[in-house]
Amino acid sequence: MADDLYSVLGVSKTASADEISKAYRKLAKKYHPDLNPGDDSAEAKFKEASAAYAILNDAEKRGQYDRGEIDASGQERPQQRYYREYAGGEDGQRYYSSAGFEDMGDIFSDLFGQRRSAGGGFGGARGFGGAGGHGFAMRGQDANYRLEIGFLDAANGTKKRITLPDGGTLDVTIPAGVRDGQVLRLKGKGMPGTGGAEAGDALVEITVGAHPVFKRDGRDIIVDLPITFDEAVLGGKVEVPTIHGAVSMTIPAGANTGQTLRMKGRGIKAKAGTGDQLIKLQVMLPETIDGDLKEFAEKWRETHSYDPRKKLREQT
Amino acid sequence: MLDERDLVSKVEQLTVTRLRVWVSEGWIRPADTEAKGYSEADLARAALIRDLVDELGVNEEEVPVILSLVDQIHGLRTELRVLVEAIGELSEESRAQLKERISLRRSKKIG
Repeated sequence: MADDLYSVLGVSKTASADEISKAYRKLAKKYHPDLNPGDDSAEAKFKEASAAYAILNDAEKRGQYDRGEIDASGQERPQQRYYREYAGGEDGQRYYSSAGFEDMGDIFSDLFGQRRSAGGGFGGARGFGGAGGHGFAMRGQDANYRLEIGFLDAANGTKKRITLPDGGTLDVTIPAGVRDGQVLRLKGKGMPGTGGAEAGDALVEITVGAHPVFKRDGRDIIVDLPITFDEAVLGGKVEVPTIHGAVSMTIPAGANTGQTLRMKGRGIKAKAGTGDQLIKLQVMLPETIDGDLKEFAEKWRETHSYDPRKKLREQT
Repeated sequence: MLDERDLVSKVEQLTVTRLRVWVSEGWIRPADTEAKGYSEADLARAALIRDLVDELGVNEEEVPVILSLVDQIHGLRTELRVLVEAIGELSEESRAQLKERISLRRSKKIG
């Protein structure tokens, strides 16, 4: 117990009754145990302030104390059981409010599942699945996995088996057209629930590797296709790789670099629909220019000059 | 279970009328709704409301604000305790991982 009751409340010995009340209230608001549920030292401070106030707030006792007739001890109020001692228990759960974490997002709801059904504290709905609070059923936790798959497996769909840390396995059906970063949810394949509640889900995040030839735009597949000089001029049949295998395709006469040809239905066959394959043509000269070609080009230049940069000049 | 009279006799400065007002305001919900039976938690809650109003000089209008925050804190504390206990059951490795994640998040927020 403190030796000086005035200093406990932080007032002078000549303080008025009003000043003493104000000082006490200020301390009590700060240290009331129920306003500091996690701080054990608050209770001691609150009791100290209450005990001091019990004497100093009573004119007669204050006089006795000032004259040294009574000391600072022995004036504690009867032991009060604070609400915070019950609030953490079974019975206190009736008053819980989940308003403090409703917005904490999926992980929290994954972890705490149905326990979050609580309404808003007092006057609100009874929370935490009712049932009197004891032995609550809790949905199993979701388990997170990551799975790396190749471009073609992602495009065409496949089945994969994940080996779990505990030695078990998890079969994952990859749907055609799965995207990089997409999370597949396997219902009931997570951790088992407690108290008869359902198991959690397995969440599998898919990472899709790149491919040297194919690129993706949604369900469409994009391929850069080199063609020869003569194929460009005269047209012709060429073999084109698709994600479903090689396919023969006709290049129209007069095709050019930058031109895009669409192969309908040769893209990703997803549930939501089938994509196309887009062929971007690139006219390639032979690696070595032989005499014939050189001769032809020289002749051709004399009589057929053309200007592919006309637009470029006009637009700058 | 305590009845109305028991509860009032155990909380200084409480009267049946005051208690009934608090119940009708929804500040206290008798553990046994039908028989108006009160639990120890209800008793402690009544003592808290008494402290707020009589000792701390809180206006009756402000009581629900405080109770709502107190209820939220206890809701949070309970979930936090569950979380912490569950973390305590994890493997050393998982806890280390978690610790790393937490410090990463903290440094992100500060930096």
